[in-house]
Amino acid sequence: MRMLGRTAQNLFWLSRYVERAENMARLLEVGYRMSLTSRREGGASEHLISMLQAAEMDEAFAERHDVADVDTVSYFMMFDPANPSSVRSCLEAARTNARSVRTAITTDMWESMNGTWLEFSQIKPRDVRGAKLAGLLQWVRQSSHEFRGAMLGTLLRDDGFSFLQAGNFVERADNTARILDMKYYVLLPRSSLVGGEIDIQQWTLILRAASAHRSYGHVYHDRYKAHNIADFLILRPEMPRSLIYCANFVQQNLDTLAKLYGRREACHEATENLLKLVDKTSMDDIFAHGLHEFLDEFIARNNAVSETLSESYNFY
Amino acid sequence: MRITIEHRLTLNAPSGTSQAMFHLLLTPPSGPAQTVESWSVEMAGIGQAGRFVDGFGNTAHLVNQPRPDGEITIEARGVVATRDTNGVLGRPPGEPVPALYRRLTPLTKIAPELVDGLKPTRSNRLDLLHGLMQRVGEKLGLPDEEAAPGQTQMQADGGQVQSQRQGDGATEDNARADAADYAHLFIGAARALDIPARFVTGYRLVDGPAPCNLHAWAEAFDESLGWIGFDPHQQICPTERYVRLAVGLDKDSAPALRTVPVVEIAQRAKLAVIPAAQ
Amino acid sequence: MGEQTPFDEMYNADGTIREPYRALSEWLAEQPDKGLALMQADAEAIFRRLGITFAVYGSEEGTEKVIPFDVIPRIIAANEWRRLSRGIEQRVKALNAFLYDIYHRQEILKAGRVPEKLILNNAAFCPQMMGLEPAKGVYAHIIGVDIVRVGPDEFYVLEDNLRTPSGVSYMLEDREAMMLLAPDLFHRTKVAPVETYPENLRRTLESVAPDSAGRNPVIAVLTPGIYNSAYFEHSFLADRMGAQLCEGHDLFVDGGKVYMRTTTGPERVDVIYRRIDDDYLDPLTFRSDSMLGVPGIFDAYRAGNVTLVNAPGTGIADDKAVYTYVPEIIEFYLGEKALLNNVPTYNCTDEDQRAWVLENIGDLVVKEVHGSGGYGMMVGPTSTKAQHEEFKAKIKARPDNYIVQPTLSLSTCPTHVDGDVSPRHVDLRPYVLVGGDEVRITPGGLTRVALQKGSLVVNSSQGGGTKDTWVLED
Repeated sequence: MRMLGRTAQNLFWLSRYVERAENMARLLEVGYRMSLTSRREGGASEHLISMLQAAEMDEAFAERHDVADVDTVSYFMMFDPANPSSVRSCLEAARTNARSVRTAITTDMWESMNGTWLEFSQIKPRDVRGAKLAGLLQWVRQSSHEFRGAMLGTLLRDDGFSFLQAGNFVERADNTARILDMKYYVLLPRSSLVGGEIDIQQWTLILRAASAHRSYGHVYHDRYKAHNIADFLILRPEMPRSLIYCANFVQQNLDTLAKLYGRREACHEATENLLKLVDKTSMDDIFAHGLHEFLDEFIARNNAVSETLSESYNFY
Repeated sequence: MRITIEHRLTLNAPSGTSQAMFHLLLTPPSGPAQTVESWSVEMAGIGQAGRFVDGFGNTAHLVNQPRPDGEITIEARGVVATRDTNGVLGRPPGEPVPALYRRLTPLTKIAPELVDGLKPTRSNRLDLLHGLMQRVGEKLGLPDEEAAPGQTQMQADGGQVQSQRQGDGATEDNARADAADYAHLFIGAARALDIPARFVTGYRLVDGPAPCNLHAWAEAFDESLGWIGFDPHQQICPTERYVRLAVGLDKDSAPALRTVPVVEIAQRAKLAVIPAAQ
Repeated sequence: MGEQTPFDEMYNADGTIREPYRALSEWLAEQPDKGLALMQADAEAIFRRLGITFAVYGSEEGTEKVIPFDVIPRIIAANEWRRLSRGIEQRVKALNAFLYDIYHRQEILKAGRVPEKLILNNAAFCPQMMGLEPAKGVYAHIIGVDIVRVGPDEFYVLEDNLRTPSGVSYMLEDREAMMLLAPDLFHRTKVAPVETYPENLRRTLESVAPDSAGRNPVIAVLTPGIYNSAYFEHSFLADRMGAQLCEGHDLFVDGGKVYMRTTTGPERVDVIYRRIDDDYLDPLTFRSDSMLGVPGIFDAYRAGNVTLVNAPGTGIADDKAVYTYVPEIIEFYLGEKALLNNVPTYNCTDEDQRAWVLENIGDLVVKEVHGSGGYGMMVGPTSTKAQHEEFKAKIKARPDNYIVQPTLSLSTCPTHVDGDVSPRHVDLRPYVLVGGDEVRITPGGLTRVALQKGSLVVNSSQGGGTKDTWVLED
């Protein structure tokens, strides 16, 4: 049976929102951890503020709250229905998309998604403090893994699978690029000369937000260094959240679609264009041309993939 | 007589829509009072249009235009040979049962004073309907279209284009009654007397400058004669100067054009109804 | 009918077990103390996890609810079912013949067997359907007939649902849940399967595809979308049939044919099982403000390029005012006496009948002619004096807007409520499929149960639940 354009769209956004919910939880987890150790006057935490910046939520947050402390930030990022990227909003959007494509996903996937939403929607924000918050954040990540596991374990490898995977990795690439961009000044090779000793917590924040603080050690056997961290999150093909990994993965899935449908579309060109940016380059080159500029360009080309995909396959 | 008709509608395409749909009732039928010698409807997309007969027996076209842009022109033209039958049409085959036209609609409400004292019998039906036509004329007054054709009386669309909500009766905001109002009043009264009556849109040959919109009149059913036309607006039964286009329960069910989404009228419709060369 | 103890599906008046329920009764006796309660909780969890929910109109919080499922099945004996299904088949055949007639020559109106005004001036009558030839002459393909039982051999048809009857997914899910919860019970009894419904639905839809369709007609289920109360059912049926689940904007009309937008371009659609009401189906022909429908779809239907299931305008045949005439309709078209009884219905436009109705309103059921789902309805014996007065005033104001029936003493069936088993009133909605080839009736149907003690309103929107319904095989 041929797939409706809307179904493809729902699948794409379903996995984007699941991935986004996970990333939001991960970010908040990092911010929460760091806020335990350093605080500004009045309970506000600069780590929480940088975290909001990374998620591009700082302005929206400032409109609604005066103080960025654990309570206000965690409410805003977890539960606030007015924040379109809060975990709540993401899970609800993911579940709405899943509901629209009930017939295109497996019962296991649906049960996982529906169960997550039902459980989450029962939680009262005021009950979630301290250790409970950490537990809940972990649960959000686990739920995302469960959904992905259900998909990998039960879904037919047809066009729907490719749209889901493409959505997942377009979102992940976007997230990793934004986290890097937030702290790009920390990653400048000569920043140590400019700013003296770099706060080790800054590195940790970046790596943890990408769940990469332990694997970093396995790969580099070295202390945190700007060059290595950027290399890890941008160019390491074995790092499942690096830009090159995501771009490769998106390309593979779109290639599968091209094979299945017997036609290459504008989105395939856009993906090649994205891949060119991270393929056959080095961190030295990237730093030479400017990390911020590089990340900006990556995010723009990644968006182009999403947009052309929507045109190529009649999303609407 | 032979009548040449050129009817042109010009609309503004709704911008930014992926698709516009047009439901056309612009094909006159051949029948006892008219024979269509030639007819064509032209607009972009008409070649692929769905063509079918609607619930009232009208020939309809369903045209779609993907991503319409700029001005949309619809042109219907042809030659129709007409005969004077004193309005009598009989029972043409392929039409729905006359009883259908006893159904009351929001546009054909009954004005009680019109039917006051009237009682239809088997033999008086014709006189009764003529009397009714007269009462409608008295109630709404004489039309003054000849005074200023296409100016005071006609909206730019003249009720030909229907893309607003149906049935609210407010497509024309001019307070002055037009031909459709005369027809509705007549139809409502006939139905109140249990006589099937229907709404007709069509062309009318007039002396002097041609009106820019379609004419409207009514038809009532008589068991022995079949359908008979009555034009309460002109206070006559249709003559050979009338060309029938479509019928329905009321104006809303027989518009020349319905669209989704709503379109704007770009120009007043152009209509030429002229005697054809012999 | 009146005050006597209602007929119970499981127990005879003397307290002995009725034969069809013997195995169930033994099984119930074997269940440990909290057994049923645990099963009930399991069932609730199953339904919620699967997302088998419905939306309740007018309820603000939690728009999605799980319809309560009762773990004690309702059982119909083989011979009882044979009788019922013969009566149902007769009814749906006559109603389809009636629809064909009133949208063509209207012989039944000319013969004066059904009042002309009742049909022609009815809001449910669809003039646009006049003269249309639906594929294989079928108008109502999917029908749910609401039946109540008041005695061992006494069944009444309460309503024929010919628009878009819902609830069939509950019939199927109730069976699945029951087999999960009490597999041992199925070893002891031979229950006719209901699982064939989606396949039969598919066959029915294929059998009415237009001639232009290929050997494998493309079928779409048209849903108003995920916020519709029956969305679960729409997706469920599409899935089980292997059909595409479409919303209005997934479909479009081109050249008088219907297509769906797929990832690889347009694909022609032959049959549309639409779960959108007539009014919203096509903004070009019906309500122009509809955002749910497909512009031009009705024209494509008229042009014979697609089949709409059910046909628009079928509502005229299940109109509450027309209901009264169904026995007449059966006689007129089939030349047979109706096998299933209608509930006697009082006509309030008749002065004598109205006077009697107003006097005895406390014993009667009043239904709004165009109401559904238990709304706009009053059950005299369980209503207050104020409600009686309210409905008396309504009837006086618009006598044609109400039908009035005696309060039937609906049969009861043992039901698990608050940890106890006690009798609750039930009805039955069998599902009928009318194809171009044959009539298929799924054995059983949906049993709805009024969970409140004494209540006769079984609608899910009014706190009713459902039961698995068994038809025993010989």
